[in-house]
Amino acid sequence: MEILAYFASLNPLNLIASLPGNVAQGVIWGIMALGVFITFRLLDFADLTVDGSFATGGAVTVVLILAGAPAPVALLAAIVSGILAGLVTGLLHTRLGIPGILAGILTQISLWSVNLLILDGANKAVNVDKYTLIVSLRNVGSSIITALCFASVLIMLLYWYFGTEQGSAIRATGCNPHMSKAQGINIDSMKVLALCISNGLVALSGGLMAQYQGFADIKMGQGSIVIGLAAVIIGDVLGEAFFAKHMNFVIRFIFVVFGGVVYYLVVGLVMWLRMPTDLLKLLTAVIVAIFLAVPYLRSKAKNSFKLAGKRGLRENA
Amino acid sequence: MMKKKTIALLLAAMLVLSLSACGTAKTAESPAASAEASPTADKTYTVGICQLVQHPALDAATQGFKDALTEKLGDKVTYDEQNAAGDVPTCAIIANQFVSSNVDLIMANATPALQAVQTATSTIPVLGTSVTDYGTALGIDDWSGTTGTNISGTSDLAPLDQQAAMLKELFPDAKNVGILYCSAEPNSKYQSSVITKLLTDMGYTCKDYTFSDSNDLQTVVTSAAAESDVIYLPTDNTVASNTEIIKNVCVPAGVPIVAGEEGICSGCGVATLSISYYDLGYATGEMAYEILVNGADPASMPIQFAPKYTKEYNADIAATLGISIPSDYVAIAAE
Repeated sequence: MEILAYFASLNPLNLIASLPGNVAQGVIWGIMALGVFITFRLLDFADLTVDGSFATGGAVTVVLILAGAPAPVALLAAIVSGILAGLVTGLLHTRLGIPGILAGILTQISLWSVNLLILDGANKAVNVDKYTLIVSLRNVGSSIITALCFASVLIMLLYWYFGTEQGSAIRATGCNPHMSKAQGINIDSMKVLALCISNGLVALSGGLMAQYQGFADIKMGQGSIVIGLAAVIIGDVLGEAFFAKHMNFVIRFIFVVFGGVVYYLVVGLVMWLRMPTDLLKLLTAVIVAIFLAVPYLRSKAKNSFKLAGKRGLRENA
Repeated sequence: MMKKKTIALLLAAMLVLSLSACGTAKTAESPAASAEASPTADKTYTVGICQLVQHPALDAATQGFKDALTEKLGDKVTYDEQNAAGDVPTCAIIANQFVSSNVDLIMANATPALQAVQTATSTIPVLGTSVTDYGTALGIDDWSGTTGTNISGTSDLAPLDQQAAMLKELFPDAKNVGILYCSAEPNSKYQSSVITKLLTDMGYTCKDYTFSDSNDLQTVVTSAAAESDVIYLPTDNTVASNTEIIKNVCVPAGVPIVAGEEGICSGCGVATLSISYYDLGYATGEMAYEILVNGADPASMPIQFAPKYTKEYNADIAATLGISIPSDYVAIAAE
């Protein structure tokens, strides 16, 4: 009986009505995930700068809009701030020889102070009634369209760029740095370049998110690397499931953004289920863990022949 | 090929399951929905509560809010209580959920929650609580005490002038006052700037000590204790969660603490002029009743402050430090 009462208290119409908002936020985070995809998948570099540069993008955007700049100009400035953050991580890593993960952490924690200086405090509101914002929780419909436009243009640009000589060199650096070096690619420059592009995208997403939620907060980037990675991996798994071997580069990008959407649909679903709110993070983690486990389990199953072969080799040796 | 089919099957099964779940829920929903539609005296209300993070003070405010509203409306009010678990972007998801399911009123607990809800709706009445300065939080420049929009609420601003006077009363001979707070909390910075001005006028020298999270708190509090005669702690959420660290540094160093609220004082302070977050939430609940039942307009409802202040002291720490407390102070009951 209690279970029935629980289901009766859930209104599916509410879930459907909340979908557009979750999609809008998912697409905005999908843009952030594109940045994470570039470092994590293409460059094979776990870049923790993003927790800081996401908030930097938001802070720069809000401060400039409050100072009277039009929103697109503020977003451009946010991209530049993100590129600078990526540059710092890149230089720390390549010029000073600091391991990648530490270089990212160093930039991330220094950005905490930088963001406080930019915001002149911990939190700044940008009131949608007073300023013209290009995305806002107030107008979810148009926000989805705007965010999708941003995502499409970015995907096209990235697809074009990673097909050029330089873009291919970045991909080669991620695949096999030693071989790339032997081929005459300056792998240090490629790493810095990829980090700049990645953090530029992350900061752009932060700028959009700050407008969407109506404020920038020093804590808005906390844990964003987790959401970004989750989106990348969810996108990978879904792309594999739908397209298998036909998944080309454009489709991969599209599915990264789609992964962000799925992540926020899951968050929305967990909230709608009215689970005890203390369990929110656990449930989200479980769902992401399932997505993470699927490719591993699949490849393990797929490779049974190879495993058998290896076993045979060992036994014969 | 097999794998692909399995996945397709799994996905299909998930879809069917979710559809059937929706189906059962829907049929069970209908009687409740029709009851909601009739605009009679026994109208029921749905109130969305968006809280930023699990935290003793915020929890107390939410509890006070619910107690006040339930006392007046009984089972005619249902709550959709959501907690962002400290994730700022999740506040926007929650706000969107409340607005799209068209709740009758939204209670936003803490600044980012209020900001997200403000962005999400200009029509549903919104009440904030545990927010210190509404003008800053909502981006209103010419702050007059009312928002002029769909928002009102209660402020947790402690009576800073009286707290400064209390510090003077207890520690007239002190010179250097350290103000310790988390750099991520706008409300704390605001309180610090106000009380710095008040204390400077009284002849004290004030210095801010800010930390970014509990990891660097100990270092910061050690240098604050070394350089200050008295430490003042504003109503800071991160401080409130880490009073044990502060106590372990300041009590051995012999530096007394004046706290902005009771919770912090019972953890590490000597004295406080306290507001009760439960009372604050309760006052917010009464405002909600006025809006829901009596049709009050939040645009013209002034932001309310804590109804009463109590001079309190921490008997243990005061005794350890050998500080004599005037008789009009009430000892905080041990938990």
